[in-house]
Amino acid sequence: MKKIKARSYFAMLISLGLIFGLCVFAARLFSEGRDWVMLRANRNVFNAGVLDTGTVVDRNGVVLASASGGVRSFAGDADVRVACLHAVGDYSGNIGSGALSAFDYKLAGYDPINGVAALSGNGGKLKLSIDSSLNAAACQALNGRRGAVLVSNYRTGEILCMVSLPSYDPASPPDLSQPQYEGVFMNRCLGAAYTPGSVFKLVTLAAAIENVPDLYSRTFTCAGSVTVGGDVVRCTGVHGQQTVEQALANSCNVAFSELSQALGADAVYEYAEKFGLLSSLETSGIATAAGSMEKAGAGTSDLSWMGIGQYQDLVSPIAMLRFVSAIANDGVAKEPVLLRNARSGSERLLEAAAAEKLRAFMSYNVAYAYGPASFPNLKICAKTGTAELGDGTSHAWFVGFLDDSENPLAFTVLIEKGGGALAGAGPVANAVLQAAVGGA
Amino acid sequence: MPAAGNFVRHGVRKTGMETEVTAVAGFLEGINGFFAQSGAFSPFLSYLVYFTRFMLPVAAVAVLTRCVYSMFRERYEPEVWAYLDLPDGARVPLRSWECTVGRSRSADVAVDSPAADAAQLVLIRGDAGVWTAYDIGRGALAQINGEEISDEGARLADGDLIGIGRAQLRFFNLTEDERAIIAGRRTAPGRIVAPGAMFRYVTIFQFLLLYQQLFYCGEAHRAQIALAFAALCLVMWLYFFIMRAIGRKGFEVEALAFFLSSAGLSVAASSAPEGMLKQVLLLLAGILLFVLLGFWLRDLKRVKAVRIPAAFAAVGLLAVNVVFGSEIFGAKNWLSVAGVSFQPSEFVKIVYIYAGAATMDRLYRGKNLFVFIGFSALCVGALVLMSDFGTALVFFATFLVISFMRSGNIATVILAVSGAGLAGFLALGVKPYIAQRFATWGHVWEDVNGAGFQQTRALSASASGGLFGLGAGNGWLHEIVAADTDLVFGMLSEELGVIVAVCCVAALIILAAFTVRNAAQARSAFYVIAGTAAISMMMVQLGLNVFGALDILPFTGVTFPFVSLGGSSLISCWALLAFIKATDTRKRASFIMKDPLKMRDRNEFAEREMSSGTDADEDDVRDLFDRRDRKRGRGQ
Repeated sequence: MKKIKARSYFAMLISLGLIFGLCVFAARLFSEGRDWVMLRANRNVFNAGVLDTGTVVDRNGVVLASASGGVRSFAGDADVRVACLHAVGDYSGNIGSGALSAFDYKLAGYDPINGVAALSGNGGKLKLSIDSSLNAAACQALNGRRGAVLVSNYRTGEILCMVSLPSYDPASPPDLSQPQYEGVFMNRCLGAAYTPGSVFKLVTLAAAIENVPDLYSRTFTCAGSVTVGGDVVRCTGVHGQQTVEQALANSCNVAFSELSQALGADAVYEYAEKFGLLSSLETSGIATAAGSMEKAGAGTSDLSWMGIGQYQDLVSPIAMLRFVSAIANDGVAKEPVLLRNARSGSERLLEAAAAEKLRAFMSYNVAYAYGPASFPNLKICAKTGTAELGDGTSHAWFVGFLDDSENPLAFTVLIEKGGGALAGAGPVANAVLQAAVGGA
Repeated sequence: MPAAGNFVRHGVRKTGMETEVTAVAGFLEGINGFFAQSGAFSPFLSYLVYFTRFMLPVAAVAVLTRCVYSMFRERYEPEVWAYLDLPDGARVPLRSWECTVGRSRSADVAVDSPAADAAQLVLIRGDAGVWTAYDIGRGALAQINGEEISDEGARLADGDLIGIGRAQLRFFNLTEDERAIIAGRRTAPGRIVAPGAMFRYVTIFQFLLLYQQLFYCGEAHRAQIALAFAALCLVMWLYFFIMRAIGRKGFEVEALAFFLSSAGLSVAASSAPEGMLKQVLLLLAGILLFVLLGFWLRDLKRVKAVRIPAAFAAVGLLAVNVVFGSEIFGAKNWLSVAGVSFQPSEFVKIVYIYAGAATMDRLYRGKNLFVFIGFSALCVGALVLMSDFGTALVFFATFLVISFMRSGNIATVILAVSGAGLAGFLALGVKPYIAQRFATWGHVWEDVNGAGFQQTRALSASASGGLFGLGAGNGWLHEIVAADTDLVFGMLSEELGVIVAVCCVAALIILAAFTVRNAAQARSAFYVIAGTAAISMMMVQLGLNVFGALDILPFTGVTFPFVSLGGSSLISCWALLAFIKATDTRKRASFIMKDPLKMRDRNEFAEREMSSGTDADEDDVRDLFDRRDRKRGRGQ
């Protein structure tokens, strides 16, 4: 009998097995529950495979999208709907970087304690850092032209404005096969890389500040063109004798050809890489398009063009924004984020002294070349870029920031085939910044 | 997937019953109308329902903690049934009704005599209080008062001399006074936790479930669901008052079973609200069988007498099933009699444990285990023929438990496992879909709409519920095929929350701990083996069900004890519960244990009655005289 009694502990072995199994389940639930909930068949979150819960609002609480019980709605204002399409995304998942797709697990409202249960019965609330009225202003300023507008707070990293055109009204989608909607699902701010043109001169200049010892005492002479390696590098004008400051303001190709040759392909490439222009970044977890460059041979005109932002250079607007944010923020880039009050990482891209130099140069650009009158009441520091595409057309870039502790805003404006940078992109930047400063 | 354990009514007799049907329908409609007008379930109360979500796990945890507290808080006072005086003068109490005596240290009474066998004698106390000695020695012979023991055993009388090897032991039964003192000292339940406390918490749990179900279900089903829960609650309290009336105070085991059954009723309400009343009737049948089997188990003598015929009946039932069975969900484990379908294998589970358990005297004699192995092979074989591999696995695991309990031989167990492993390997070749199950295991997320269909949905639903669930009746997993049987853990997690789902698993683990603890005080090996085997069978089944659905084990499709929808399995679980209840030897705890104070009148201290000549045979007369001898003996 004693033996039989002792053998009954065999049952406890089985219950140990059960306890072990429950522990495995608990561990998996804790680590993978968020993914399990996103099974398309989970009717607590999806309806016929389409997200059916959660609300997306902008930084001011304006509802941009919400779904419940099979009914999906967007912002009330049609302009806001169009302007915020790429930030918000769509319920069909065509716009992969939109909040509805990228943050669907947040919209499911899942947490390990409550599952997807919510008192409102309507999933999670997702607050974007976007200001929808700013988006609408940017959209209006672009006036139907294809392009991208980004504005962020360079102290916090929060993106306040993110507009990509072409766009459409998700509440009443048009026939998207029409030619004007080509590439409409792509968010040009995050998902595309463009020839940067002269805005890239900021990179070359940053390299020169640290690697060309006599930079500030040099005199750059522009006769309208220069011959390098048997090829002619043309400039936009005849700038005569200039300091480096004036060369940047003039966006003088001859001067930057000289700097590129002095630095060499490796140095230019290295700086572009260091500034995050060539790699895919993560914006609140969304992978952005990586830029790219090809190193040109020493002494060739290709090397000159490489430092001028032509040749094979490609940069995404978000990476450009991050770079100018770093210049504005004493050399430290706050990682751009799309969620309100999200924690933002930071990375030092430049020495504070170099950042200070670049800020001074960019401020001088506006004062000397762009005309402060075009940007009333804005302490703007900027650089234009007219990226020639080789077919006579060019992308218009305008990047920079406000040197204003009240309004620590960095911006990037890109207009595809927008012609001259200052004439094309400048007024867009001004319109958005005026709205941002006035609204803030 | 073989969804086990459901009664399906085929024939519908309409004639003559139509008026009754309309009357019932009118009654139900009336209740529904009342509910609709009461406003107790209006959408405005969603905040109240949201709040009850948090109360549900509290109630569940309260049920479990009350039960655990009541079960394990008190130290058990050991029982003594007789004494043996050893040659060195030590007095050894016999603490159960079945004791071994031998040279081995593991014997209940170890005797230091090199000439004796390791296990020489087994002493059995009959229900009537009479002790019998059986010689189980393999070489040496034992003597009682100098005489060898025949195969039928020898009656032990007070003061008898037992010769083992060269040692002489003296046997003493208890006096009436001693017996009364010991009986009075025994631990009784209900001192720390009032007997009704557990049921009160279960009632709160049921009420919360009912309110949530009524809130979320369609208006048309409210009456059925409300009546079903009311019926369960009523039966529970009826059981309580009947048991209290006959002086029983232990309700922990039943409270856990009622707790699980309530969760099961919620599963039924979510999944098949139109069949609620049928489900609750089956539940009642299960409870009835629990009580009947319990009363049957009171008397070990008749229990032993029916073991072999029961085993034959079980094999016969399975044979009929193999020949005439019908196939539902891929397994041919259904039998249809008179329009009612049921799963014979579920009922064979009860008989299997009943026939597999044995008293100590049987354990040491002859080729007992071989008969049991043959019986097991027939059962498992029949289930394999029916393609019910999940149940076959459960039987096999129970076989291991019982054969280990009986023989204590790890080698046998390992041999059996490797044999089964080989057989399973062969089965993989014959039945490719089993291999498929193994291939899917751990990879369910790679094929969410194919091989991993059920598991991924169960995981997704259980994560959705979080710790507190979405509310009873507010899930979707029940719409998946066989979710109310195979994916029941997912349904519980989704609707009632992970805490309640884990509580349902914990309820069985608590029962297992209780069974093991009771074993220390057990009277007969039969109860220990049967109780341990029953709880092990339930736990193995539970593990296969829960972890199969959660992709921690391969998917097998057996039922979650007490909770899965279905009649056969529900009834058999309640019946198996009787084996667990039978291990509870606390004073006035279990109706399966006879009240020792009443037992005294009829049994070992029945001399007065017997001497008055009702039914006294020679032995009893001898008992009477022996008592005087013993008293003299003690005086020495």
